[in-house]
Formats: sequence, structure tokens, C-alpha cells
Amino acid sequence: MELSWWAHLWSVLPEIVLVLAAALMMAVDAWLPEGRKRELGYWAIGGLAAALTVTAVQAAQLAGGIAVPYEAFGGSVRADLAAMLFRVIFLLAGILTVAISMDFRPLRQSGEYYILLLISVLGMGLMGAAVNLVMLYLALETVGIALYLLAGYLRDTPRSAEAGLKYFLFGVFSSTIMLYGLALIYGFTGEIAYARIAQALAGLPAPAVMAALLLILVGFGFKVSAVPFHFWTPDVYEGAPTPVTAFISVASKAAGFAVLIRAMIEAFPTAQANWVAIMAALAFVTMTVGNLLAIPQRNLKRLLAYSSIAQAGYILIGIAAASPLGVAASIFYLGIYTLMNIAAFAVAVIMTNVTGSEEIRDLAGLSRRSPGLALAMLAALLSLGGIPPLVGFFAKLLVFAAAIESGLLWLAIAGVLNAMVAFYYYIMVARAMYVDRSPEEEKPVWISRPARFTLWFTVAGVLLLTVLVYPLYLLAQMAAQAF
Amino acid sequence: MVTLTHYLALSALLFGIGAVGFLIRRNALIIFMCVELMLNAAGLAFVAASRYRGLLEGQLTVFFVLTVAAAEVAVGLALMVAIFRTKRTTNVDELSGLRG
Amino acid sequence: MLQGYAVVGLYLLLSFALLGVVLLLWWFLRPKKPNPLKLETYECGVQTVGDAWVQFRAQYYIFALIFVLFDVEAVFLFPWAVAYNQLGLYAVIEMALFLLLLLGGLLYAWRKGALEWA
Repeated sequence: MELSWWAHLWSVLPEIVLVLAAALMMAVDAWLPEGRKRELGYWAIGGLAAALTVTAVQAAQLAGGIAVPYEAFGGSVRADLAAMLFRVIFLLAGILTVAISMDFRPLRQSGEYYILLLISVLGMGLMGAAVNLVMLYLALETVGIALYLLAGYLRDTPRSAEAGLKYFLFGVFSSTIMLYGLALIYGFTGEIAYARIAQALAGLPAPAVMAALLLILVGFGFKVSAVPFHFWTPDVYEGAPTPVTAFISVASKAAGFAVLIRAMIEAFPTAQANWVAIMAALAFVTMTVGNLLAIPQRNLKRLLAYSSIAQAGYILIGIAAASPLGVAASIFYLGIYTLMNIAAFAVAVIMTNVTGSEEIRDLAGLSRRSPGLALAMLAALLSLGGIPPLVGFFAKLLVFAAAIESGLLWLAIAGVLNAMVAFYYYIMVARAMYVDRSPEEEKPVWISRPARFTLWFTVAGVLLLTVLVYPLYLLAQMAAQAF
Repeated sequence: MVTLTHYLALSALLFGIGAVGFLIRRNALIIFMCVELMLNAAGLAFVAASRYRGLLEGQLTVFFVLTVAAAEVAVGLALMVAIFRTKRTTNVDELSGLRG
Repeated sequence: MLQGYAVVGLYLLLSFALLGVVLLLWWFLRPKKPNPLKLETYECGVQTVGDAWVQFRAQYYIFALIFVLFDVEAVFLFPWAVAYNQLGLYAVIEMALFLLLLLGGLLYAWRKGALEWA
């Protein structure tokens, strides 16, 4: 079927909006006098919001059956509900991150920062839509390169520069290993489109496919920070500017899962028995190691880093289930996780601004110092921990149910045990805020307006979705049918 | 006669050397050069497979890989210069400001 | 065909194994006497003077980076030019957009002062 030029453009319309916004911002940045760079944050929010509006309309059209899923640009990208929903996650994460960046002290006077953020969101959108190997690699690298720079953005701060370099070295190493896997797949099949690869792989011996699959999984494992590809995570999370950490921990991870789900289901259906075993093992190791290493942490960002590794483990359970329910559960989990984790990091950003430290003990007395802030953090932590009735509980319930449905009872049990361990360290943070006292209690906490917006949005989102669990689940289910 | 297997064997060797180099070298710049070696090994595999099958996609992929490699060089060197300015070293063992 | 790839796998394993063996041998055979002198560029002979890193002016490096970035983009122009006669208006517009974006990048670098020598 010959597509019209509009159909081609429609498939990547949000990305086009982002490119235009980024180009415009480059012009504005180049001519904006020093001292007014903060305004670029509003430009960035505007651009991201415009793209989000476009995406929401497209998603509604696809969900309502007005538009049908199709592939554009010679089979490079697919426009379907899953791609659109993932874009919503990336764009939302982008907007919320910009809002907490604008008054984060070290980032105040930076224009390129917002442009790089927009470009990485753009790459993520393409990651979620990619249906061939070339687009997959390009999108992954677009995201990666922008994020390496963002992680090392505070180049005069040794910790940030070091985080950037570490992220960069691990990132290029794992993506190159993935590229070699892609080259092997291309060599075996002579195809680059997922669907045709799936057909061509059917007749090939399992060990050859398995070798390529393992190499490719290194790249994906890095993006979602699954154990054993997680070594960069705590260091980069600690060293990068906190808003960037928030962004990497949600958006980059969600993008990693988006490509992982699509590649496994669409390109490797014939090797399903193999990758299910790998995913189950990865899920188990990832959540266990993440949770156990989170317990001794004293630095809030490192704690959240290990917690986010563990969360990746839970999401992997849904993929290991390899069923429509499992995929829907994973997408559901990612959507919720975005809100909860950004809420937690927003509190970290605000506290870093006030105390200049990122230690958990500096949260002491927060419940008296700023009851609202403490309550927001508590909601985020309890939801991350999966305490009923908050929506994080339903997310865990769904992935565990999917595992049981697919006969992975042991994985579900391991998940429940892990959730109990995780509960301990989330409560330790809550204890610092509510039980411990501090001489600083009288000093008020300054929260900038954009940061206030992020807090309200994420916490209200978590609470609202707690009520609206079912519609969100239905949406995730519809998206899962796209595969 | 140079066959597909020769090219692929060469690419596998280059990739292996790069990977081992990445793991054992301590200078960030040399580690990065090892990654470049691996990247080009993958590129060689793409071109060889593409040529063997008489297809174009693999060669096209290498164009993109080259561009990505250039962008990586720019970003990587910029980060290394930033590190060097503050730390006066690019030895990865001495980058221990973060507890890792 | 697939036997060809088996050979590749073998080579890959071989290259890892060989280096592994060599590294292990080193580890067993070498005396372990850490000494800062060993980290010098030349262990014997003339003392190295100064630091090779700071000898280049930073400007060289910025120019080199910008050059590398823009140079590599030319790779897309060649196939485009070769196939120009078979491509329609679409390809012209596409390339114009591509070059415009590059131009935007160059202007940005210029405005940000990356092209000043001082």
C-alpha cells in the first residue's frame, strides 16, 4: 500500500513538533541574553506540551478506531497505540523534569540543557515506534548521546563530569555489543524489519539465534538497568544533576522497555521459550539485587537508584510472562512508575536546593518543616513500595498475576518477598521524615512554582489513578494488543 | 579467495580485541578507542553480510553507524576534557568521587 | 552459510580465550611489586618533561570536534548525489531539510562562540 506523504508525517508527528521546538529554542538560546536563560524552560515545556497534545489526539484516534495502525518510512516506524502511549510517558516525564530543573540551583543559567532534553525525548519517541534494526539503533543512540551530555552537564563539578563519563563508557560499550548482535541477525536473515526477521529466523538453528539475542539483550539491559548490566546506575544517578537522574530513571528506562517489548514480541517470537527463561532470570536477579543493595544506602539518590533497579525487575516479570496480560501489566507499571519516581526525585531536588545535601538523614524533621512535601514523598514511597490501596499496589498485583497466569509461580512468590524487603527501606526514609528530629525544623522549605507543579501533578496523578485503576488498565490492555 | 567467512572472522577478532581492551585498559581514551574498534567490527560484519547477499540495507546501516560514531567521539572527548580539567587524569581507576 | 558463522563464533571464543590465557599467565608469572615508576611513560631513559595533555591549545580540539561532526554528514550526500536522477522532488526536499538543520547547527556553534580562536 502506497502511503500519502501526510500518512508518513502523521506517524512521527510528535517528533516533528519536537524537532521544530528544538530548532526554535536553539535560535532563542543563541540570541537570549545571559541571565534570562531560565525562560527557555518555559519554551521547552511549551514544545513538549505541544507534542503531548498531538500525541494524545493520535492516541485517541487509534484507541477509538478512527485511525488504523500502519508502518511508515519504508517500515522504519509503526504508528500504533503502544507507540503513542509510550510517547505520552516520555513527554510527560520530559515536562515534569523541565519543571523541576528550572530552579535547580546549578542548572539555572543553561540553555542547551533544555534542548538536549527535548532531543532525548525525541529519540525515545522513535525508540517506542521503531520496527526495524536501523531505526532501533539510531533512536537508541540519539537518546544515549543526549543523556551522556545531560549526566555530565555540570562539567565543572567533578562528580557530574565523572557520572557523564561513566555513563558514556558503559553506554557506548553496551550499545556496540547490541549493534554486533544486530549485525549477526542481519547476517543470518538478510532482513532488517522485525516482522521479516521473525519469519526468517524460524528456520535457523537455535544456538545461532540465541547468541545474537544475548548480544542484543546487553544493550536493552543497559537501558533498563537490569542486573548484571546495572553497574553504572548508582554512580550515574548519584553524580548526575538530580533532575537528570529523575529523567534517566523514568524516561530512559521506559524507552528501554518499549524497545525490549517490541523487539522480543515482533522479531523473536520463534525464540520465545529462550527469551522467557532469560527474562525470568533477569527479573529475579534484578529485583533481588536491587532491593538488597538498597538497604544499606544512606544517600537518597543512591537509594532511589537501587530502588529503580528493583522496579525494573518487577516490570521484567510482566515481560517474562510473555502474554497479553503480562505486556499490559508492564506498560501499566511503567506509566505508574513514571509518576511515583518523579515525585520522589522532585522532593530530592527541592531538598538539595535547601540543604545542599542528598543524605537521607537531612530529611529529618521534614514532616514539621514542610508537611505537604513530606506527605508527597510519603505517597510516592508507599506507592513505590506497593502498599494498598495506592496504585503502585495494583501495578505489582498485575505483574504477579501475569506471572502466575503464565506458570511462573516461583517468580511471583519471589516478587512478593522482594516487595516486603523493599518496604523496609522505603519506611526508613519515611521514618527520617516523620520520627527523627532536626534543629533545622523551623526553617521553611522554599519550593519554586514549576517544582510545585511537578509535585502536585505527580501526587495527584498517583491518587487519581488509584481511583481510576480500571480505565488505565483497559488502556494498557489495548496498547498491548498492538503487538 | 577471500570469502564471507574471512570477513566475518576478521570482524569477530576485531570485536573480541576491542571488548577485551575495554575491560582491561585503564585510560578512558584508550577504552573509548576500543569501543570504536568494536563499532567498526560490527560495521564490517554489516557490510560483508550485505555484500554477500547482494542487499543494500547493510551498507546503508554502516553510514548511520559512522555518523553515530562521530557524534560519540565528539561527546566522549568533550566529557574526557571536562574530567581532565578538574581531575588532571583520565585513568578510570582514579575516578572514585562516586562510591562505586 | 551457517558453518561460516560457527567459525565466527569459534574465532570470537578463541580471541577471548587467547587473551584470557595470556592475562592469566601474566598474573601467575609476574612479580608483584607496585611502584609509581612503573606508571611512567618510559621506565628508563630520559625523564619525561611536562604533560603531553596540556601542550595542545583547547581551540584545536573544539575545531577538530566541529570538523568531525560536519565532515561525517557528507557521507549522506554521496549516495544522494549518485542516485539523484532517479529520485524525485521528495529527495530534494529531504536533503534541503537535512542541510538546513546542519546549517542551523553551524549557526548555533558560531553564535555560541565556538568558532572564535581567542
